[in-house]
Amino acid sequence: MERRLPQFFFALSMIVLALMLGAIWQAGTPAWRSYQQEFHRLEAAGEPNAAAKSGVLGANLVIRQALLPGLQRVDRCTTCHLGVEDPTMKNARQPFTFHPNLAPHLPARFGCTVCHGGQGLATDNQNAHGKVPFWQEPLLPKEYIRASCGRCHKEGDVPGVPELTDGRRLFETQGCRGCHKLNGVGGTVGPDLTEEGAVHRAPAWLERHFLDPNAVSSNSPMPNFHFTKEQARALTFYMLSLTSEQMATYYSSVRLIPSAGYGRQLFVEKNCIACHNIGGVGAKSGPDLLGVTKHHSPGWLDEQLVNPELVYPGSIMPAYDLETNARKAIIAFMAAATAEDAQSILSRRPRPLTAQDAAIEAGKQSFARFGCVGCHGLQLQGGVPNPNSQGGEVPSLLHASDDYTKEEVIAIIRNGKVPPVDNSAKPAPPLYMPSWKGVLAEEDINRIADYLWSLQKKKESW
Amino acid sequence: MKRRSFFSWGTAGLVALCSAISVSLGAVVRFLTPSVFYEPPQSFKIGNPADFSFGPPTFLAEEKIFVFRDREKGFAVANAVCTHLGCTVGYFQSDQRFHCPCHGSVFNAEGVVQYGPAPRPLEWFEVTLTRDGQLKVDKDQAVPASYRLMVS
Amino acid sequence: MMNPLRDAWQSIVRRDPLSTDKGKSELVFLNVWLHIHPAKVKKDNLKVKHTFYLGFITFFLFLILVTTGVALMFYYRPHPPQAYQDMKDLQFVVYLGSFLRNMHRWSAHGMVICVFLHMCRVFYTGSYKRPRQFNWVIGVVLFLLTLGLSFTGYLLPWDQLAYWAITVGTNIGSYAPLVGARVRELLLGGHTVGESALLRFYVLHVAVLPAVMTLLTMVHFWRVRKDGGLSRPVWKLKPEKAARLVTIGASDTIAPLTAVPASKDKTYGLMEVVTGKPIFETVSMEEEEDTVFSYPYAFFREGVALLATVATVMAVSMFWKAPLEELANPAKTPNPAKAPWYFLGLQELVSHSALLGGVVVPALAVLALILIPYVDLNPSRRPADRKWAIRAFTLFVVVNVVLIVVGTLFRGPGWAWVPPWVHITGAE
Repeated sequence: MERRLPQFFFALSMIVLALMLGAIWQAGTPAWRSYQQEFHRLEAAGEPNAAAKSGVLGANLVIRQALLPGLQRVDRCTTCHLGVEDPTMKNARQPFTFHPNLAPHLPARFGCTVCHGGQGLATDNQNAHGKVPFWQEPLLPKEYIRASCGRCHKEGDVPGVPELTDGRRLFETQGCRGCHKLNGVGGTVGPDLTEEGAVHRAPAWLERHFLDPNAVSSNSPMPNFHFTKEQARALTFYMLSLTSEQMATYYSSVRLIPSAGYGRQLFVEKNCIACHNIGGVGAKSGPDLLGVTKHHSPGWLDEQLVNPELVYPGSIMPAYDLETNARKAIIAFMAAATAEDAQSILSRRPRPLTAQDAAIEAGKQSFARFGCVGCHGLQLQGGVPNPNSQGGEVPSLLHASDDYTKEEVIAIIRNGKVPPVDNSAKPAPPLYMPSWKGVLAEEDINRIADYLWSLQKKKESW
Repeated sequence: MKRRSFFSWGTAGLVALCSAISVSLGAVVRFLTPSVFYEPPQSFKIGNPADFSFGPPTFLAEEKIFVFRDREKGFAVANAVCTHLGCTVGYFQSDQRFHCPCHGSVFNAEGVVQYGPAPRPLEWFEVTLTRDGQLKVDKDQAVPASYRLMVS
Repeated sequence: MMNPLRDAWQSIVRRDPLSTDKGKSELVFLNVWLHIHPAKVKKDNLKVKHTFYLGFITFFLFLILVTTGVALMFYYRPHPPQAYQDMKDLQFVVYLGSFLRNMHRWSAHGMVICVFLHMCRVFYTGSYKRPRQFNWVIGVVLFLLTLGLSFTGYLLPWDQLAYWAITVGTNIGSYAPLVGARVRELLLGGHTVGESALLRFYVLHVAVLPAVMTLLTMVHFWRVRKDGGLSRPVWKLKPEKAARLVTIGASDTIAPLTAVPASKDKTYGLMEVVTGKPIFETVSMEEEEDTVFSYPYAFFREGVALLATVATVMAVSMFWKAPLEELANPAKTPNPAKAPWYFLGLQELVSHSALLGGVVVPALAVLALILIPYVDLNPSRRPADRKWAIRAFTLFVVVNVVLIVVGTLFRGPGWAWVPPWVHITGAE
């Protein structure tokens, strides 16, 4: 034993040395280095002269990354996927293949994982593709990647991804919220879906689940809705897009894409056809919109949509409170709109267009803009408490035509009205109708009356 | 004989141990050398050639560079960091010179010191055209002031 | 040319060549790091079978932990999302990062095990007995510090494993009456494990506890020397040698370790004059034949123990990765949520009775451990003379191990009994 001690000592020193060298070898030969070397060889093959060839071959092997503080991500995918921005690598094998149609989502600003999933911080195949335990966002299969568009573009249509719009519509119309919570609203029977796209990320499972809940999760309380394959796919897309991830304004500002399709939706919603026509089809109170984008610049049109009065003093067009991308969408729609579009929009209206519609629409906007809704309610239902007035609350306007003529109503708006007092011993009611004479133009007052009467008529016709 | 073997094995062990320690020290240096940087990259794309106008240089504030585009000579990129103490210089079209706001150094359009405490001319960086047709600046590659990239 | 070089060398080592006995002694005396050793050690002390070098191994693991820990600090930010990202960076981009983290993790577990085994060894050899009672108490405190260091380090990766282990672990502590909730609040800097808890655990882990640990380790080593050196299996000595054994501080009444009068044949050091008693356990005319020089015999052995420890930790770290689960998510409790393994015995007890597992048992266990040397007044260290003490301690060890094994391997979702060979489907 005594004599062997130095031999032990020597042997163990050698083992420690060997282990240290082993660790260094392990740390010094990550797989990404050989990928980079291979890519450099590929690049060199495409270079014309020897100097350039050796320059490419001698390039440093470094971990490449996109720092994305706005997305709270660091993506190192381009450490191996070196050809994503190099069109000459169109036919190169993975991981070097070129990524077409990247603009405007440039990797330097967006990275990769926000769309593709996977683990951006990782630098080896298994971990980077996220197919490891304890990583919740594995790489999305190719056919589901488009679902990721919905993570930023949360409203409107996303061009090329009709599934998202369909999925969202299905979710809101099939009563899903009865059982499932989404962003804090909904039932508690099923799981909360707010993070569904961030936590589970199992597209195939989700799709089978929508086709038949029991097939993948036995005794699931979720009924079989007998969705079609397309519907199941659409819902899966929508689920995959659900995340409450914090994103910087740069990414969340394009919640909706200013597409012509969404513009058309807004055109219908805002009832533009009540005043305007396209190629002669529609109302004649406002100008024809056919080719309007050819006569005016997008900037001019945008200003017109923000505040028509500033562009055309005395314009009867109401100022709609539309966000930037909504205005862009309407302009995009107008650029392509034809008389046929107007025809189809008209044909889907619940009732035919009348000459009054323009005035009614303008009156509705004024009613909203000048604060009438504050007391009378968005649905004209009234009901705001007004102590010591007769009835104790602000009256509903839905039955104005029973008690007043249109002229009397116009006079009330113009001159104001103190509500009849219930008990003269008590203090006067706090709320009263102010005089709008100096604030609203005569036409505005008339249009508001038109708007009120339009609703009365509707009620009678029921 | 017994003694000698005792000490020669021991010495050999010490040698092995010392080499293990020195290898580890080398590994420590490499461990401490950052392999990724949490700062803006040294080499980056600045956009398409068409994005840049002829005439006065374009200043990119985030990257702290001036991009010159000349109809005959092509592109050149100057560092906007003063060689004196690191303030950001400004380019004045009126006298076609760079002025440093901190200590009054003045550089001519080639970056050569005309005036003030700056010890060296402004740096010029290599600018190349990538395969997807964009301009790429590499701050690690200093080039002479005469360097130009012609883009057809 | 040679003389200045030799002068320079002499100015560093200041000792005679190692081939001389004087040189061997001076190597120990004149060296700040080595002089914690005696110049000569008893042959008995070098025997592996008596100590298994567990104290040394524990100390070496502590050294590995300090070294790797300082290295890891260069890449660690004690703030919630970054802390986890830094773990990923260690794994994926830092050169040797995961290797160092693995070494740190496995050494930490190893140290908890070795410090416990060391305690067992000291108990079974009766080495806590007079005059070493107080060093045993310091040892118990060092054991608790080791648990504290391991526990505070457990949170730092900020993954699900860390988060919930610390949540459960600190909740076990909060069962202590009156002070429990207050201590938990003090430790976490809040009522749940959050960013202030991470910062507090970090400061405790890298500054406070290691400093206390280092100081107490120094005291522990110092006391080993001052209390008569490493203990030996004295009951195996030949009767004529055992007759000469003395124990410092022993009263004359409790034989067999009686003090002997100073001998003419021995030269006494200042220490012995000060205490009036020999400082070694044995005073023997034949001392020379019982002892060897620390250099090379003790040092090579310690070197071998150090290298074996390092090599084992390195080898384990090359092939087994330190765990890292998903980012800590306070909204999602894993089922079952388990404390670090060394607290799973307590968690098992808590699952039966909060008061028992959280308060009574740990308090009694620590108190009993500390009191052992003052309660066990049987002066003999011979195992045959202390059967009941050994049985009682063995029972303590076995219960501990069984509870930890049950908590670690046999408890599944809902803390239900699930043997490790049964796989539960659908459990997350």
